[in-house]
Parts: sequence; C-alpha cells; structure tokens
Amino acid sequence: MTTNTRQPQSAWALLADIVGGAASVIKGHVVTLRNWLRPKVTGQYPYRDPAKEWVPKPGYRGDFALIHDPERPGGLRCIACMACANVCPDKCIHIIGQGKGKERHPAAFDIDIGLCMYCWLCVEVCPVRAITLTPEYHNVAFTPQELIRDINDLKARGEGIAEPLLPVPIERSVLQPPTAKKKDVSEA
Amino acid sequence: MNEANVGTTDQLIVNMGPQHPSTHGVLRVALTLDGERVVSADPDIGYLHSSMEKIAERLDYRQYISYTDRFDYLGAMCNEWVFVRAVERLAGIEVTPRCEHIRLLMAELNRLASHLLYFGAMGIDTGATTVFLYCFRERELILDLFEWVSGQRLLYNFLRVGGLRNDLPDGWVEQCHAAMDALASRVDEYDTLLSENRIFIARTRGIGAITAEEALAYGFSGPCLRGCGVPYDLRRVDGYSLYPELDFEVCVEEGGDCLSRHMVRSRELRESIKIVRQVLARLPEGEVNVPVPRRLKVEPGEVYERIESPRGELGCYLVSDGSDKPWRMHWRAPSFYNLAPLDRLCRGHWMADMVAVIASTDIVLGDVDR
Ligand code: SF4
Ligand code: SF4
Repeated sequence: MTTNTRQPQSAWALLADIVGGAASVIKGHVVTLRNWLRPKVTGQYPYRDPAKEWVPKPGYRGDFALIHDPERPGGLRCIACMACANVCPDKCIHIIGQGKGKERHPAAFDIDIGLCMYCWLCVEVCPVRAITLTPEYHNVAFTPQELIRDINDLKARGEGIAEPLLPVPIERSVLQPPTAKKKDVSEA
Repeated sequence: MNEANVGTTDQLIVNMGPQHPSTHGVLRVALTLDGERVVSADPDIGYLHSSMEKIAERLDYRQYISYTDRFDYLGAMCNEWVFVRAVERLAGIEVTPRCEHIRLLMAELNRLASHLLYFGAMGIDTGATTVFLYCFRERELILDLFEWVSGQRLLYNFLRVGGLRNDLPDGWVEQCHAAMDALASRVDEYDTLLSENRIFIARTRGIGAITAEEALAYGFSGPCLRGCGVPYDLRRVDGYSLYPELDFEVCVEEGGDCLSRHMVRSRELRESIKIVRQVLARLPEGEVNVPVPRRLKVEPGEVYERIESPRGELGCYLVSDGSDKPWRMHWRAPSFYNLAPLDRLCRGHWMADMVAVIASTDIVLGDVDR
C-alpha cells in the first residue's frame, strides 16, 4: 500500500524542509502581489455603465435577422426555398411560403432559438444570403415562448444589415459572393 | 458493539458525484472506503451520453461537424479537425496550404486553452484558487481570438470539409502574436504558484502512480502517457499535417504520478506557444477553400484517422456506403481510456487524493460518454 506519510528525519532535514516550504509559499505570494497591481479584467453584468458594455466582434453568432429587400413582396430577400429549414440539425426553423416563381416569399418564418445550436448552417446554405446571425447576445427570456422569433421580429432585427455578418469580407468565406453568377458549387 | 469489533472499522461505500464539483462533469465514482483510505474506486459513466455516434448516421458530413464540437468541448477544434481529415481522406480532397496552416494553428491554440483550463482545475482541486483565476484570465485571450475568427467562444463549427468557414480577419495575426507574448510571460507565474509550491508537490508526488507497461495496457495516451516516460506523441509518431516541419519537443516526464502528468502539461504550454509562433511566421497567403459539392458523397470504404488532441489520441473511424451520410462512425475518445485505470490509480490512497488523481488525468465527461 502506497502512502505519503512522513518518514522520521533529522532535525536539520526538518529545518531545511520548513525553510524551503516557506520560501515556496513566499514566492507564490510575490506573484499574487504582482497580479494584484495589474489592471482588473472582470466586469459587472448586467452593465451599469453603457460605455463598458461588451461589444462582440462582427460575425459573433448571437441572434437572428432576416435581410431586407424592398423590391420583393414582403420586403425580405428570402425566397422561401426551405434550404435552411431542411439543413438545420435541430429543425428549429419553420417557414410557410407564399406565391409562385419570382413572387415567392415567406408568409411565416419562425426560429425557435431555444432549440438552436448556433451552428450557422442556415446562413451557409441560403442561396440568396437572406438570413444572418447578429452579434446581439441579450437573449434572456422568462418563458420559452419568448424565445421564438417570428417574421416581424426577425425583420425588425435585420434593419440596416446588407449582407450576412462575418469577420471577413464574404469573398473570403464559404458563402457565395454577391457578384458570383447563380451557380451551384457542385458544378464548380 | 461487540468486543471483537473495537478498534476496527467497517468498509463504507460512498458515492462521489455525479454532482460533485471535482469530478469535472458528471462522473459518479462508487468508492469503497476503509476509514479515509480508498479500497476500490468504480467509475460509473454515461450521464452525458447523447448518441453522438448514432446521430452521425442521420446527418450529412457538413451537418455533423457542429456535433463534433460537443463531446470534447474543451478541444473542439481538434475534434472538428480529425473528422474533416477523415472525410477528406475518404473523399480524396486536398486542402490548400493556407488552410492547413490555419487548422494547425487552431488546434494548437485549442491545446493551449485546454491546458490552461486544466491548470486552473488542478489548482482549484488541490486547494489553490488563485491560479485558477489567473489561468481563466489568460484563457480569455485565446477565446477572444476564437470568437473573432469563428463567431463563437467554445463550439466553433469553423472547419469545413475542404476548407474553413472563413479566412483569418485582418489584424488577427497581430492579436494572436500579442496574446502569445502575454501568455508566455505568465506561464512561469503558474509554475511558481503551482508546480513549485511545496504543498502542491506534497499532494501530487507519488500519488496515482502507474508504470509505463500498465499505462500502455490500459490504453493511456497524450500527456498522461508521456507522464509515464513513454515518448509517444502522435504529432511526432504519425507526423501528420505540418508537424514534421515544425520545431518542438515531445515533453516526457518519468514517474507516472500526478506531478509528472502535471509537469508534462506545464511544459507543453511552452511548446504550443512555440508552435503557434512558428506557424504564424510562415503562414502562406492564398485561398482557404477548395470547391466541394454541397451534398458531398464519398466513395464506399472505411478510414481511421487520428490526431493528438489535448487529452491524447483522438481517433475517428468512419465507414461510408457511398451515400452523403456516414454509414457508421466511431470515436476513440482519449478521456475514456484515461479514465479506465481510475481504480488502479486511486487504490490505497487517501480519499482526498482522488480529486488530484481525477484532475491530473484531465478527463472531459462529454468526451467519455459521447
Ligand atoms: S444556427 Fe443551426 S441550429 Fe440554429 S437555426 Fe440555423 S441551422 Fe438551425
Ligand atoms: S435558405 Fe434563405 S431563401 Fe431559403 S428559406 Fe431559408 S432564408 Fe429563405
């Protein structure tokens, strides 16, 4: 049986042990003291001071938004093609499409962010880049119902967003750049 | 009480966990105790089981990448990497040099973040709260880098078959350099606070010792195995990706006890910083993505791909029947094998040493249970 009980030792060895142990503890305290003088990195949440509000980088995957297109029915760029609803691993996007051909647009568009795993796949598969995740991270709610984003909510959140948000220009990501001809990647 | 029992104790069975703060997740250990001594420790796993392998059979390759993040959530980039490597090998896809560099960079940054969390957890489990707070402060530097490039702090979904979600943003490389400089100056502080502290050494030296032969028989890998004096590091043994071209040392410690495993990780922090700096210095320009069909179908066949994750040999076994979904998928999760000899490691020690032993194997229960 292995134990780490102390073996009897000479008085000098014991003294050396005590001095060495004390030195290691003091060295540790010097480090603590040095860190005590460094600037504080923690902050209060929720933020009392709006200036100290944490702003995530562009491309942070927080909440959803639908991108506007005033020339289309419904004012949204979405063509209700269901690609995002099909690819979603959690099946938390529910769309009801309306109209035919060029007129096709979503009549209802619900995302249950309580189920969502923020994988970004819906943004990736969208053929017209109509959906995006935004850096909005205040997603707390009191009831599960409040976590369902409907089409009006998503439209309001898309105000002022021109293209899906990314930390880099779209050309340097897996998304199809706006300039590219409508062409499936599989043919490329 | 009868006369014969005076002065002897009965054995007592105690459940440690699943809601115990030092079991690193939801692990239940059925302990048989003789007084304060551990007679046997029987780990009971499965509380986090979520059918990760079965789920793969109903998702296509692109969808499954975001699931790989979720078992070993402290080494998510490594999980993604081994999975996309397996798919790419099966599908015969070559990635661009820039993509390969960035992937390696992400894996090493993830190793740093994971080892920093290990340092903190080991500290707090052996009673040193300070180092926990410092490590989390520095880990934040790395998580900020991840957040910037991938949009998330823990579950990145950043790698794609044939490339990456996106290229590195402008200014990222500079911030990464700055983070490495900040971190390099702090690693010595952790060692002063923890690795050289007499109390910490007394609590870890000779505790949970295992010989190299036993460790190999149990399937130990990663820092746990290197702590037993076996220089087995897949980055050198397999030499996958760009590792053969990089200059780093395989950290080995003799001893096989908690302190050796700890020292291996402490030295690996420095080695990983060295690797990250080298990769940043030679990062080539160019494209990061190669064209891949949206619904990728791979040839029928099977493949076993493995890489060195922060916890050890992480393997991905994939069988394809030619469709767009894996036919069967299996993970060789390092935490599972590193947890297996818990009984062997703890037997005969004090109950308080259990905590140090569990912390020193650095298991992630999501990885054990999958
Ligand atoms: S981010 Fe992923 S889980 Fe969430 S809605 Fe989009 S596809 Fe579904
Ligand atoms: S993939 Fe894009 S266009 Fe198609 S339904 Fe979803 S948001 Fe609309």
